[in-house]
Amino acid sequence: MSERNRLRSLFTLVLLNGVIPIRTQPLYLLNLLASPLSFLFFITIVSHGTYLAFGVTGGMILTMLSVGTSLQSDLTHYRHDLKFQDVVVASPVEAPVYVAGMALSELVYSLPALAVFLLIFTLEGFVSLESVAVLTGVLVLVWGFASALAFTLATYFQDVRETFLFSPLISLLLTVLPPVYYPLRALPAWAQLAAHFSPTTYAAELVQGAVGLAPISSGAAAIDWLVLVAFTAGLFLLAGLKARWKEP
Amino acid sequence: MSIAIRADRLRKVYPKSPPGSPAALEDLTLEVPTGGVYGLIGRNGAGKTTFVRIASTQLEPTGGQLSVLGYDVRRDDREIRTRIACVPQESRPLYFLNVEEVVYLYLKLRGLDRTEARRRTKEALDELSLTEYRRRSVQRLSGGLRRRTLCAMVLASDAEVLFLDEPTTGLDPIARRQVWEAIRRTIREHRTIVLTTHYLDEAEALSTRLALVERGRLVLEGTPADLRARVRYPYRVTLEGSFPRSELEPFGRVSEIEGGVMVFTREPEAREIARRALARGTRLSMGPVSLEDIFLEVVGRSLSDEAPAEEAEA
Repeated sequence: MSERNRLRSLFTLVLLNGVIPIRTQPLYLLNLLASPLSFLFFITIVSHGTYLAFGVTGGMILTMLSVGTSLQSDLTHYRHDLKFQDVVVASPVEAPVYVAGMALSELVYSLPALAVFLLIFTLEGFVSLESVAVLTGVLVLVWGFASALAFTLATYFQDVRETFLFSPLISLLLTVLPPVYYPLRALPAWAQLAAHFSPTTYAAELVQGAVGLAPISSGAAAIDWLVLVAFTAGLFLLAGLKARWKEP
Repeated sequence: MSIAIRADRLRKVYPKSPPGSPAALEDLTLEVPTGGVYGLIGRNGAGKTTFVRIASTQLEPTGGQLSVLGYDVRRDDREIRTRIACVPQESRPLYFLNVEEVVYLYLKLRGLDRTEARRRTKEALDELSLTEYRRRSVQRLSGGLRRRTLCAMVLASDAEVLFLDEPTTGLDPIARRQVWEAIRRTIREHRTIVLTTHYLDEAEALSTRLALVERGRLVLEGTPADLRARVRYPYRVTLEGSFPRSELEPFGRVSEIEGGVMVFTREPEAREIARRALARGTRLSMGPVSLEDIFLEVVGRSLSDEAPAEEAEA
């Protein structure tokens, strides 16, 4: 397949799984907005507005993770219920193009949530060259590892209902327990240690540091970047090894 | 005769199948010629879909060799995928698309440019009488129209080899014939179609060659005429009203049917039965056996061979 055809396939997947379903059911656009906005509302009310900024940065990270959980459901549904993946396998579309196209298509659903959070982010006065660069880098990496995790897990699911079981667990382990919506220091010492097993802790530390909510040293920031990149690369490797394009 | 698909001692055992369970495919050897419809028939679980899934690079074989257009399914799956298209069994079009989008976006996904994709989409929709439904959402289509849309999708493609796994299941007789016509047009373009079906009239009407698969093995293979020539009784005589069974039994296999009797026999014996029936004033019809008759005879024989073995095991 030529590069031009690869790009054509990629954008067709974005259209097919991202743009057209929204045209059919515009409420899909609110889907990824609901959870992060609920957390933001809750944490702002409970903290009397003190943690609004944490709610905004955490909301963006949760939105990117939700892209992964939605992807996991779509992949499972397309593979088992519609046999769409079988149609694609028996065609010139290569596995990396399918993976990238499907992952990109899920980003379309996150646009309203990102727009709302970016608006609050701007109104709160967090916009600077450094904060925007860090935020962009972190969100891309979170989207990357969430998508890779989705591809790995979707390989093992036999029914879309199984994804409904795992999605809340993933959200709990990656966004509620780790300090995504609050500073790491708010956790007891043992929990701070445990939080470092979650990649979202590093993502949150970087963003919170860049906007001045919980400043970190440049050495700590470098370690956070390293861990986040390594984690994302590891999940991509795992997806490459475990995700099945052709059945054994 | 050039060969589109060549299977040599192909074997498939599913990884999670219980120990001792039979292989899904067992030493299957066959050749699918280029440019025609190759019908795969057999009972449920005979191995037809397993063969299609291996040949269309969705499933790894356990043993043996399989090549499509000269490319090995294990080594050259990328090469194969650029030249094939498949309607998997029980597949459904994406429900949020309309009929036209299902076909058009599939072609775009395969890398066709906009103009070519539009042209092929229009042709396929016209041919399968889907033009009036082109803006209708898949969600609002009957099961038959959904199946027809999937057929339009792959028939519109530029693939050289098409795999249609039970493509007409759920279609009414008129819709089935529209799909048949589209298939016939496709093979006029010198493309190859591998068709699995439970409708034996469909297999007979469309297939240039046929393979009867039973328990993962090839039982019979050839043109419909070859298959008839290879069965014990290639002719069928149907007699209306009563006729002494004892007089017919020496000529072949006799079956009672509603309002008469049916005899499976050879051509000279069929003529003799016809002569005797006419002498008695009995109405009759006579002709070559249908594919269904062959299927029942061959698979029925295989089942009766299996029965004593199972009884012995019990």
